[in-house]
Amino acid sequence: MGLVDKNLSLRNRNKMLVGVWEDEDSLVDATQTLVDQGIHIHDVYTPYPVHGLDRVIGVKRSRLARVAFFCGLTGLSLMTLMIWYMYVHDWPVNVGNKPVRFTPSWIPVIFEGTVLCTAFGMGIFFFLRSRMVHGIKNDLLDVRQTDDRMIIAIETTDGVAEADVLKTMKDKGAVEVREMENGIQTVIK
Amino acid sequence: MGHGHKIEIKQENFTVPGKAKQFAMIFMILGLILTGIGIFTLDGNDSSSHADVKDSHTTVTTKVPVVEVSNHATEMEGSENHAPDMDNEHGDHSDAASHGEHHNVENEQFGPRMEYHAQEKPASTKILANLLTAGYYFFMVSLCALFWYAIQYAANAGWSVAIKRVPEAIYTFFPIAFVVLVVAAFLGKDDIYHWAHYEHLGLKPGETGYDKVLDGKSGFLNTGMLFILPTILVAIWYFLGNKMRKLSLAEDTAKSGDVTFFRKTTRLSAAFLVLFGFTISIVVWLFIMSVDAHWYSTIFGVYNFATSWVSSISVILIFVLFLKSRGHLNLVTKEHQHDLGKFMFAFTVFWAYIWLFQYLLIWYAHIPEEMMYYQLRFEQYKTYFLANFVINFVLPFAFLLMRTAKRTNALIISIGALLFVGHYFDVWFMVMPGVFGPGMHIGLLDIGIFIFFTGLFVYWVLNQLTKRGLVAVNHPYLEESVYHDTGV
Repeated sequence: MGLVDKNLSLRNRNKMLVGVWEDEDSLVDATQTLVDQGIHIHDVYTPYPVHGLDRVIGVKRSRLARVAFFCGLTGLSLMTLMIWYMYVHDWPVNVGNKPVRFTPSWIPVIFEGTVLCTAFGMGIFFFLRSRMVHGIKNDLLDVRQTDDRMIIAIETTDGVAEADVLKTMKDKGAVEVREMENGIQTVIK
Repeated sequence: MGHGHKIEIKQENFTVPGKAKQFAMIFMILGLILTGIGIFTLDGNDSSSHADVKDSHTTVTTKVPVVEVSNHATEMEGSENHAPDMDNEHGDHSDAASHGEHHNVENEQFGPRMEYHAQEKPASTKILANLLTAGYYFFMVSLCALFWYAIQYAANAGWSVAIKRVPEAIYTFFPIAFVVLVVAAFLGKDDIYHWAHYEHLGLKPGETGYDKVLDGKSGFLNTGMLFILPTILVAIWYFLGNKMRKLSLAEDTAKSGDVTFFRKTTRLSAAFLVLFGFTISIVVWLFIMSVDAHWYSTIFGVYNFATSWVSSISVILIFVLFLKSRGHLNLVTKEHQHDLGKFMFAFTVFWAYIWLFQYLLIWYAHIPEEMMYYQLRFEQYKTYFLANFVINFVLPFAFLLMRTAKRTNALIISIGALLFVGHYFDVWFMVMPGVFGPGMHIGLLDIGIFIFFTGLFVYWVLNQLTKRGLVAVNHPYLEESVYHDTGV
């Protein structure tokens, strides 16, 4: 698996079942029902975080915190190296007769550098891992998933009773159910 | 988590378990015994520590680099022409310089400043200074619980409603601690505060021992102000806090869905926060910063707030986990605990930031009278100085970085206790070197008084927790708090 997670792409999928919801309570309820029926959910797309959804679809704990820690360490060492090089090695300056070795004035620089590297590192790695890098083509199941609708996407594999899944979705409050094959969506009445 | 099944909300009533009561009692008795032994052995120590003080007094002054003196003198000469303000601010320096022949180098540098350390102090000063420390610390910690409470309302926070009765019980302790603080300051003012001692002398300019700095500050820094101003402020805070407490109790019995109590408390909280933000520094200046009356730091109020704020959050967390272990607060989950842990983590870093930056500004400017505070604490108390940083920042930071630490009861309680003790020591370290100069140590007396007040505080808070139900059943955000979830 590369740094950019290709599994998230919808382009190379055989066939998908798509349900559209309007409110998060029935969405979470429907997701729970589908999970209970043993159906593997590809992903749920919501325009904003929905509490409890991550636990229902069994999202694993993000490793972003660890990334942040190592980015922080990188920033810390880079900044220490930088200020040591500038202040001690390359061009020592006598400021008010203060010592040139490690002094309190180094700490703000190192601290800010650590924060900068952590923030940028987290941002960059987050976007890379979520496949939101520059140049990708959008593959939204429904353009409204970025606005006010919520989508459950299920990839059909062998043994998934499509009719049953679609029925469950409708029963559990889906305002619309669709099938997607080769990138073409058809609404199922 | 919360979805799919509904959590039943019901009122819980707390009765203090016998064991907890005994525990608090044992703490108080142990504290008293240690204090007694401490006082008993104080006299013997005292004569030797006086000798210490005198000895190290000379070492302090001789240790001061002579370079500083000459630097400063030239700086003063150079700046005289174009900066008349400097003359006012550092006037006593040029005074001392002009009388240079009559004084030795040490006196020229510190003038009357360092002399107060050598001033004879009765043995009771140590007891009173410790009472001052304890009174001040517990006052600030309980007051910060009120601040915490007010912040939740002002920020419209929902997650904390399930635990809101805990800070509500903790903040009732602040008037009591304030009484201890004021009594200690009143009885010991002449020995603890050298400016109060100076006030009695009533010296005029030109007389020997006249101190231009203290004279200039006397408009604000006088015994009348020391007692009247904080008392007024505490009375106002108490009034606001009491009102919020009453509203909170009335809400329980009101009909469900009534938000008037919530709205009123929000308004009171906003008023309290503004008032507290502007006035807490005054209390800090008068009681603690004035121990070193010649020294000043503009960030000192914030530093003291940071110190007590972290401890306050630790105390809230410890009480919440205690209640939970006794089978109460059933609505509180690991999520609430985790968020309190994050709070602790964030403000541990905040404390370290203020701790460093208070010094950083002084280090940059390198003015002797500002440096004096750190000179004394770093040169004479190096172990304590570094221990303060390790206990209050390095250890908690290293552990609290981990998510596991915040969610493991034993670990988070240990860290909370460490911070609680560590920040008491932090306050101790602000007071004692200022009062006694070099050569002070943590003895049985200091430990005893801390343990006694911890016992009293725990006993008081446990009793307060029984006064009302542990769940704010009619709070509009209770349900939000019950389903609070920070994600996987």
